[in-house]
Amino acid sequence: MPEALLAARAVTVRFGGLVAVDGVDLEARHGELVGLIGPNGAGKTTLFHALSGVLAPDAGRLLVAGEDLTGSAPHVFAAHGVARTFQMPRVFRDMSAEDNVRFALQFAGRTRRHAHDAFDDARTILGFLGLGAASAVAAGALTPARQRLLEIGMALGARPRVLLLDEIAAGLTPAELETCAQLIRRVRDELGVAVIWIEHAVRVLMSHVERVAVLHQGRKIADGDPRAVAKDAAVIEAYLGEEGVGSEGGRERRVA
Amino acid sequence: MGFWLELAASGLITGGIYAVVAIGLNLQYGLMRIMNISHGEFLMLGAYLTWLAHTTFGVNPFALMPAVAAALFLLGLVVYRFCFYRIARTAPSVEVIEARSLLVGFGLMFLVQNVVYLAWGADLRGYSYLAEPVEIAGARFMANRLAVFAFAVAASLLLLALLRWTMIGKAVRAMMQSPTGAQLVGIDTGVLHPLVFGGGLALAGVAGGLLSMVYEISPSMGEPYTITALIVITLGGLGSVGGSLIGGFILGLVEAFGMHFTSPSLKMVLSYGVLVAVLLARPRGLFSR
Amino acid sequence: MSAREQLAATLACGAVLAAAPWLLSDFLLSLALSCLMYAALAVSWAMFCGPTHYLSLATSAFFGLGAYVTAWSLESLPYGVAVLAGGLIGVAFAALIGAAVLHLRGAYFAVITFGLGELTLHLITYTEKTYFHTAGRIISDAPDNAAIYWTVLVLTLGAVATAILVRASRLGLALRGIGADEERAQTLGVDTRRVKILAFALSAFFPGALGAAMAVRWTYIEPLSVFNPFIGFQTVLMAMLGGAHTLIGPIVSAVFFSLVSEFLRLRFPYVFLLLLGLLLIALILYLPGGLASLLRRRGRADA
Repeated sequence: MPEALLAARAVTVRFGGLVAVDGVDLEARHGELVGLIGPNGAGKTTLFHALSGVLAPDAGRLLVAGEDLTGSAPHVFAAHGVARTFQMPRVFRDMSAEDNVRFALQFAGRTRRHAHDAFDDARTILGFLGLGAASAVAAGALTPARQRLLEIGMALGARPRVLLLDEIAAGLTPAELETCAQLIRRVRDELGVAVIWIEHAVRVLMSHVERVAVLHQGRKIADGDPRAVAKDAAVIEAYLGEEGVGSEGGRERRVA
Repeated sequence: MGFWLELAASGLITGGIYAVVAIGLNLQYGLMRIMNISHGEFLMLGAYLTWLAHTTFGVNPFALMPAVAAALFLLGLVVYRFCFYRIARTAPSVEVIEARSLLVGFGLMFLVQNVVYLAWGADLRGYSYLAEPVEIAGARFMANRLAVFAFAVAASLLLLALLRWTMIGKAVRAMMQSPTGAQLVGIDTGVLHPLVFGGGLALAGVAGGLLSMVYEISPSMGEPYTITALIVITLGGLGSVGGSLIGGFILGLVEAFGMHFTSPSLKMVLSYGVLVAVLLARPRGLFSR
Repeated sequence: MSAREQLAATLACGAVLAAAPWLLSDFLLSLALSCLMYAALAVSWAMFCGPTHYLSLATSAFFGLGAYVTAWSLESLPYGVAVLAGGLIGVAFAALIGAAVLHLRGAYFAVITFGLGELTLHLITYTEKTYFHTAGRIISDAPDNAAIYWTVLVLTLGAVATAILVRASRLGLALRGIGADEERAQTLGVDTRRVKILAFALSAFFPGALGAAMAVRWTYIEPLSVFNPFIGFQTVLMAMLGGAHTLIGPIVSAVFFSLVSEFLRLRFPYVFLLLLGLLLIALILYLPGGLASLLRRRGRADA
């Protein structure tokens, strides 16, 4: 088995008395597409904050391609090829879409030149995402859905080997959701990156990922083949009263 | 013993005034993010009003305090309506509100200071009130300083009580903790903001009036108090009224004892040293959790 | 205009301005000097604070330290070396305080930079009094006015050129990212702490060097006059009124306000400052983007 590109070992994040992420182990390997699901408040986004260096974990270790980066600043994670998107798009609103991607290429992407050649300039990346026509538009003027796409573009500009996607498909119609999933698979196939993907549209997510991990109240309660996880008693229990695991993707309610 | 008591008391007396100056500014900042750098100028206005009324009509300066507070409060409503209301409405972010209110504060500082220069000139003004020594527990104090101290502490405590137990006070505290939450439960910023801004200026005016009973006054007297208020607010925590009260006393004591043990020329070094040390070690104030 | 064209234009302006000492009377030359000084101060302030939205009130501290470098060393060092040393002291001081306080934001940063400036002022006052038994220092054998003017001109051109280069560079891009969303910039690979300290220190070279260059104009130097917080306030006001995110805005407004204040301040001191206050309030309320936004609005209307 190849070495994990990204490995979290017993990672714990606390906010005061609240344990948001509780001793979670998570790995993603070269070319692997991993889903991360869980009810609202399960700690998914907080785990992403830890995986990208935005929040230093209170306990546990973070390894990127075998190198221990625990406690490093976000730019160190970026320099080691960990790129992420934000659930609430955090594009540079006053810069054009193209400059947003170029920003990533100029900093995180610059130290990782020749990491991969497929997406090597801002226009190619925007074209791939279907944002080619909007490249000169100020990022703040794009619709929220397109800002989420631009977030992916910025992450790609960082020339990643690990891509962390946080609800990039929120608010999409079922058809758009399917296109988005195809897009993510293409990125994974062409760049060979490891992808960890959080999405509330659980059914669509499950049909595309090779592996899925489930968080509930900060703990990882399942990790494995999507079909097996869907039948897992603990998972069904966790989702009871929440949206069902098998509910229709596009119409799921989302609480921000 | 008498000497140490005198030293501590003189620190507390200065600190009491510092607290009144700082609480007004802190309320404005805590509630609206208005960093009103012209706070000291309104203090100076309060001092001139007190001086003018006392020397012209011979009214007891303490009896004048409610009138001074009311005058400054009304002025505050006007200033808020014409300056800060527009900033709060048009600024896209809190950072921008802070920056713009700082600059408008500079403008107000130039405006108010020079209006007073034009009206009364640059001379030092003053009057003598209760300027006789009193002896307590072997320590000697000027009667006016004691009276001013008592009034300052009473005013601060009254304000704390108002904030704690009245509806408006509760609304103000709720707004400081969670602006959106408070608006959700129906607190109207359109009423609260001008009210608190006016209240801040009223406190500055009262502090100025109190100072005029003890020191000579001049159009440029305000600036140092703005700085002192900033230091006290930093000590006690932005937005915390009780913190400002304690912060004022701490700064007064540090200055009094520090100057005694080092040298009077180090007064400013001490104040700024305290400011810098606190900002570096506990940027959210001494009493923050 | 591209960065190259901007640099060429700066150089051309510099060549024209260099002739001033032969053409202008002493009064007009000193007027030009104060315009240049404030233009350089405003441009170097806006270099860091414009894109990042930090509100630094440390300019007077850098300026005062520079002036004291001259006061302490002019007898043993040539003027040019003292100016350079003043700039480097500014850089060193900014790097030091930058490392300590750049994690603070908004009003906190404004207050602490101001506090640090005042602390430096009072420490120098105390040191001079206690160890050198002097309240101030007399500057003897100052260079002539033309030499001072050319020095300040070179510094001003240097500040403008540096600002142009920073804006066109990755450093400038990183600063814009930090101003827009610091954490996002970090996740995109910017070492924000290093970038901020670097840019803050770089921008402090000019006020430090200008303090050293202008010190000789005073003949008698005391801490209160060279650390005058008003120098810092005026710089901030000029930069923000001109539009701190632009290159030309701070220059235009620095020249405008220097001229207005030189002409009116001595004649009608109170009325002038009163009007300045009113103007300031009106500008912030009704033209918050600075004078530069007015130009841009007109440009758009023309197009």
